[in-house]
Amino acid sequence: MSLRLAPSSKASSAGSASVLDTSNSYGLHDTMRFGMRQIASEVSSKHPLENRLAEWDNTQMELKMNMARNMYGMHAPIKMAMERSLVIQARGPSMLPQRSNLGLDILAGKDESIDFEDFLNVPEMSTDMVDVHVVMERQLGIRA
Amino acid sequence: MTSRLQQTKGGFNFDNHVRNTMMEGKGMGIPKATKTGTTIVGLIYKDGLVLGADTRATAGPIVADKNCEKIHYLAPNMYCCGAGTAADTEMTTALISSQLELHRLSTGRQARVVTAMTMLKQMLFKYQGQIGAALILGGVDINGPHLYTIYPHGSTDKLPYVTMGSGSLAAMSVFESRYKPDLSREEGISLVQEAIEAGIFNDLGSGSNVDVVVINSEKVEVLRNYAKPNERGVKEASYKFQKGTTEVLKTSIRDLVDIKETVNIHTTEAMDIS
Repeated sequence: MSLRLAPSSKASSAGSASVLDTSNSYGLHDTMRFGMRQIASEVSSKHPLENRLAEWDNTQMELKMNMARNMYGMHAPIKMAMERSLVIQARGPSMLPQRSNLGLDILAGKDESIDFEDFLNVPEMSTDMVDVHVVMERQLGIRA
Repeated sequence: MTSRLQQTKGGFNFDNHVRNTMMEGKGMGIPKATKTGTTIVGLIYKDGLVLGADTRATAGPIVADKNCEKIHYLAPNMYCCGAGTAADTEMTTALISSQLELHRLSTGRQARVVTAMTMLKQMLFKYQGQIGAALILGGVDINGPHLYTIYPHGSTDKLPYVTMGSGSLAAMSVFESRYKPDLSREEGISLVQEAIEAGIFNDLGSGSNVDVVVINSEKVEVLRNYAKPNERGVKEASYKFQKGTTEVLKTSIRDLVDIKETVNIHTTEAMDIS
């Protein structure tokens, strides 16, 4: 039961990256679809802030859940988690990227705040697109 | 165009970190960000508080902006002076100003200074000092006037008179010798002006003019360029040569375009009203 205020700067998955994420039917990295990729740079020498920022929201959520459990009893975090899963389920089971989840934002309190992620590198404005075919293939278990 | 597996999240992008460390290792560092060098001060007087700042922004040894604004708006009752990296202070104060407005709309009450301080402190701690913004936050709320300093790593102080920036020692020496509680408005403004001028004249990173903001429970006065102790002198002599200094030997004029003047006479016909 961790009451961690801030995430650690080292990634918990000990910095592992696999070629299988972007592999084609030959088992190697698919350069034509995904461009160049250097596994070495993904594993070593990450910026100290990278993991901290990526895990920030989850760590704050876990802190809230643990404190609620200590103060109010087991029912409080269970109820919070139930509301979260209801809102996520309501969107339907799909891995494809969709519009932002308003219900999730409201539960997280993001509807009443603004942060760097709302105007810097907004995903809607990015020129890279998620390849829906690859995502569907992955989900259905069909490999290229 | 390459495709991705997952949607990128917003916020800061660390993709170039590996490339940058490699370049620094080879001797090509990152370009110097514009800093504000700076002397910023704040003090609490009888009815409220006075904030002051110089107006020089430096990029290394060069003055990048001779008259920049370092006192940023946060809320109708709060202003924030910023020292450190200029972009960081501007973005941070703009972001917190937006967050404060959302908070105010949600609570329906005037924002408190301690709210802004907590938001700034938590954000700066989250970024572990990588956001180089050293701020003096001052405002008047339901509990009276408050003055806070916030350091880039997220620590804060609550004090009756504060100075920050490279000229902070020069300005603090003025405050320490002449500050007393319950100053009048004029005494407060003149003390702030003297402190900033001490920074302007004794610190290389601060210069140009003095900006002052006076906040009390009724109103806010923004006195931009309150004092200009560094006005450029008018040149006494001119380097321009008078006409006739050089003798004209020959003049030839060639028209590039043939100019022909023609006069068209319109014979107006009488109106036919038959």
